[in-house]
Amino acid sequence: MAVSYSGVTKSYRGRLVLDGISDVVNEGELTALLGPSGSGKSTLLKIIAGLTPLDSGRVSLAGKDVTNTPARDRHIGFCFQDYAPFRHLSLRENIAYGLKVQHVARAQRREQVDELLRLVRLEDYADQYPHQLSGGQRQRMALARALAIKPDVLLLDEPFAALDAQVRAELRSWVRSLQQELGITTILVTHDQVEAMEIADRLVILNEGRIEQAGRPPFVYDHPATEFVASFLGPITSLGDIAYRPHELELVGVSDAAETLEVREVVRLGFEVRVILTNPKGSTTWVQLTHDQVKQINPRVGQRFGVRVRSTLAIPAATAAEPATPRETSHHEGSH
Amino acid sequence: MRRSSLVLRIVVIGYVGALLALPLGFVFQQAFSHGWAQLWAALHDHAMDLAIILTAKVAILAVPLNVLFGVGASLWIVRHPSKVSRVLDVVIDVPLALSPIIVGLVLELAYAQNGWFGSAFAAMGLRVMFSYPAIVLASVFVSLPLVSRQVIPLLREIGDHQEQTAATLGAKPTRIFFTITLRSIAWAAAYGVTLTLARVIGEYGAVLIVSGNIALITQTLTLNIGANFESFNSYQGFVGALLLALVSVLVLTVIGVSRHRLERKRHGSFV
Repeated sequence: MAVSYSGVTKSYRGRLVLDGISDVVNEGELTALLGPSGSGKSTLLKIIAGLTPLDSGRVSLAGKDVTNTPARDRHIGFCFQDYAPFRHLSLRENIAYGLKVQHVARAQRREQVDELLRLVRLEDYADQYPHQLSGGQRQRMALARALAIKPDVLLLDEPFAALDAQVRAELRSWVRSLQQELGITTILVTHDQVEAMEIADRLVILNEGRIEQAGRPPFVYDHPATEFVASFLGPITSLGDIAYRPHELELVGVSDAAETLEVREVVRLGFEVRVILTNPKGSTTWVQLTHDQVKQINPRVGQRFGVRVRSTLAIPAATAAEPATPRETSHHEGSH
Repeated sequence: MRRSSLVLRIVVIGYVGALLALPLGFVFQQAFSHGWAQLWAALHDHAMDLAIILTAKVAILAVPLNVLFGVGASLWIVRHPSKVSRVLDVVIDVPLALSPIIVGLVLELAYAQNGWFGSAFAAMGLRVMFSYPAIVLASVFVSLPLVSRQVIPLLREIGDHQEQTAATLGAKPTRIFFTITLRSIAWAAAYGVTLTLARVIGEYGAVLIVSGNIALITQTLTLNIGANFESFNSYQGFVGALLLALVSVLVLTVIGVSRHRLERKRHGSFV
């Protein structure tokens, strides 16, 4: 089911958390709301779920206005970052909660819960209590509990943040394949750009309560609308007044370049090598090289090189501080 | 065993023994000193029996009132914080800081026939002071924060994510309250109930002032014990004290069990 919101504004204790933002999430897609902490992404998720009232704006599900519909009638599955297990209920009872609310008959309920337990691979833990489960198991329990009501939309607030690195990577790809298998419209909040780019069909990048940019991950990475987006999705460096991805720059001989820079430091990080250079005016540029490239040109501190641009990110570094109009989608009220 | 640890144990056991075990043992010894027949007769002392009934009647009203108030106030303070609820959060502790005598005097000032609201009640033909309502009022007052002080920290700790999740699963507020909120705080509330019960049964000072201590009418068990000692009927006093001590032991056992459950729940190791 498609989700759309427009002009969503929310202040909390005198601080503007969401500043009139609008977007459309297509049916069956996985959208990542990506942004630093305090960017308003979790608040937006709770507003979509109906758990937080908004000051102004609209939320629609499949074209139907649900702005004033309480959470219990929105049919949206929601998973908190802490998974919010019902601590006094067993795993089976946790998953059955929504079915009980809907007065599903006992036998049918049992059947559906068993099916969900298989889906999230927790069959062996059905009668355990939340505190007996690991973080990853609790996360899958929360997911099964949300899916039990067959929601139209699934909202996940930082679903992997509390897990250790290996479990996180496993669950990430598992959640992605489950989402594709079920074809359920999903919005996921994260501050991790690698996670967002790996899992999402579409990125929505938030900063200080505004959408900086929305679009397919590769497009946004290559064509960031603002320096904020560019620097949030990956490293950037500046050469003159222009920002570049450090891996899009290469070092060339002095004779091939108009301006030359002096090597100040060479940092070797295994496969990746960072060469930090300064120009005569004192500004710094860094270039990301592969191990093999470094073997060929063998840069040393004090040596001079020219820098050639392989491709341009093309955000003027000078305008970086100003909020720019996002591309691809327009975020002014009334544009939908 | 290390020597310092041995010394510490002796000091602690000696301290508890001198303060608690010896006097309590003395109460038991005195109550049983005249044999079973005498004890049986003393248990059927008319004034004491009426006092026990009154204490029970006070507890039956005061404890549920404070549970309702305590749970309600806790939910308000934690879930709907406002300037007013923050003031309540501080004010709710006042009864613990005030001497019961002061509580009694304040209530008397307010509810006596010529007091602040007492005159209004008197105009309606109701007498509050020196009657059952006054004793309930004093008991509620002195035990006011005992439930909420247990429930508030637990409510803060568990947060509202479970309740919000239940809402997204389609549950209505009343269902959420009974299946999630109340289930989560049940043991903390039970612990608060036993503390309240112990306080209500054992209260002396405030009740002494507001009840008027009229034998057979407004005399609670604690007042009856006090009166017996004052009138040199100390054997009867010891029998009353024995009963009170037995109730305390029972209440303490319940407190111990429920606190144990609560601790295990807080540390997530309950089943």
